Amino acid sequence: MTGQPTGFHAVRNGDLPMFQLKNVTCRFGHKRAVDGVSLEIPKGQMVGVIGRSGAGKSTLLRMLNRLAPVSAGEIRYGDRNIGTLAGSGLRDWQRDCAMIFQQFNLVPRLDVLTNVLLGRLNGRSALMNVLGLFSREERLEAISSLERLGIDRSALQPAGTLSGGQQQRVAIARALMQRPQVLLADEPIASLDPLNARIVMDALKDINRRDGITVIVNLHTLDTARQYCQRIIGMADGRVVFDGAAEHLDSLAVRTIYGTDEALDEGMTSTAITLSKPVAGPGPLPPASPVPEPIFLAGL
Amino acid sequence: MPVNLPDPVREPPGRPHDVERHWNEMTRRKRLYSVLGLVLLVACVIASLRFANETNAGKFFERLPYFFDFFRDLVPRDGWEIARALFDLPSPYDNGSFEYNYPEGRHYVWSSFYIPEYMFKMIETLNIALFSTVIAALAALCLSFLAARNMMPNPWIRNGVRRFLEILRAFPEVVVAGFFLAILSLGPLPAIAAVSLHTVGALGKLFYEVIENADMKADEGLRATGARWIERVRFGVLPQILPNLMSYVLLRLEINVRASTIIGAVGGGGIGELLRLSISQNHEAKTLAIVFLLLVTIIGVDQLSASLRRRLADERAFHPA
Repeated sequence: MTGQPTGFHAVRNGDLPMFQLKNVTCRFGHKRAVDGVSLEIPKGQMVGVIGRSGAGKSTLLRMLNRLAPVSAGEIRYGDRNIGTLAGSGLRDWQRDCAMIFQQFNLVPRLDVLTNVLLGRLNGRSALMNVLGLFSREERLEAISSLERLGIDRSALQPAGTLSGGQQQRVAIARALMQRPQVLLADEPIASLDPLNARIVMDALKDINRRDGITVIVNLHTLDTARQYCQRIIGMADGRVVFDGAAEHLDSLAVRTIYGTDEALDEGMTSTAITLSKPVAGPGPLPPASPVPEPIFLAGL
Repeated sequence: MPVNLPDPVREPPGRPHDVERHWNEMTRRKRLYSVLGLVLLVACVIASLRFANETNAGKFFERLPYFFDFFRDLVPRDGWEIARALFDLPSPYDNGSFEYNYPEGRHYVWSSFYIPEYMFKMIETLNIALFSTVIAALAALCLSFLAARNMMPNPWIRNGVRRFLEILRAFPEVVVAGFFLAILSLGPLPAIAAVSLHTVGALGKLFYEVIENADMKADEGLRATGARWIERVRFGVLPQILPNLMSYVLLRLEINVRASTIIGAVGGGGIGELLRLSISQNHEAKTLAIVFLLLVTIIGVDQLSASLRRRLADERAFHPA
């Protein structure tokens, strides 16, 4: 994890906008899915959120994107008060705060390219959107974001026919089309095989490092969180019980997060592929050519 | 103690025994209820049959032989008369009465090419059915998204639209047609109005149930990109449910072909009107020609719609990996 400040709690100059959560609570009926969470997340950080199923990780992320309601407390991003946004202000925030999901949430019957273009719906006329009319520039941008994720070859297939790993990369490409400031990832690799999990996590890391986009990712494998995230937030019963750098996540912290009495064997949750050569960090993505292939464009 | 029972020590203590006992009790109770229900049903059927026969004063079997008089009256003077009536060819029995004036109904398209009267009227009936189905399907599509729980969180709008759809489908087409005939006078227009209104109510309900059963993952993904409501409808829900909706529309088209025939009989234009006239005037060849034409058309429409729906079902079977 190079090139990032280690003191991540400190707010650097010019780092605004950033997340500030104060006593944030989300209630569903009587159950508090998220219970009084206070956090600060500066711009450009890669944060992993870990915890048992039902610990509130998912709800926390969904509140940031306002897919879940903010019952109490305050979420601020820069000068925006996320909890009170409504109408076009809310939709603009959702564009700026992209989200990808465990089940990819693409439109399976539409082709990959259209799915990626749907990331651009916000800010265009509703009529043009409903008619499915996108400009050549937008198509080129969609293709180049597909290229960046290495799936431009599948651009014209229905998204539902792709493998899970490919679909998750399409979802990331769609998120990039939103030109977001934040990328939330809710268990992005939980349905993927180890190789695809690695590709997806590498892509998220690359987006974080090259584009400076804040990435907040829910994970259920400890070693993935350690390997990719500079900061780890542990949740249990809707509360934050650990918040610190990956190297501070010792066995005591793990026991607090997972509520086990005995130490957890991290290898048990691991699905990662151990390469023969030591992995210093996430490997770089295959270099994307800056100009889309002309042969491909001729058909559009 | 019987020795051939399984050794209880090998099973987890107590549990399987309890589960089996509960299962036996539940099954016994279910069987008891089924038998009681069946006995009650048979008793009700017998009682109501008795009641019906007493109220009819036992005329059913007395009048039954006259039932077939109708079919005896329907036999034409010769079999070719049916074909002549169907294709508006001159009849050898022509005596200037309305019974054999087949060629007078010809609809000339150009010079000597004509469409026989009944086929022309059948096309009119089909047109009424097709036009009202298309119009009603579009209206039902708009309303159904306002009535679906997953797309319309506001209960006032949702329940308002649902009640409105219920009112639309509460009255049979013929009743609504009678109402519109009084306002719009005879012709296909009241038939179209009546069939469309009823179809909006019927399709609207089927549509919103399809929408409520839709997989909302794609919609969630779009919501997270900041898409408007109409864009979520267009991209998140519509691609997924369109084959189902088309299948319902085709099914409704079959029903509407029959409905517009019946409405024709009460003055709504089309083939139904001619059928009623020829039956009431005892024009046996004309009646049989129309009945034959109706049968062929309805079987044809049903087959076409069935094959289209099969194709849609294949498409619906498309599941994401």
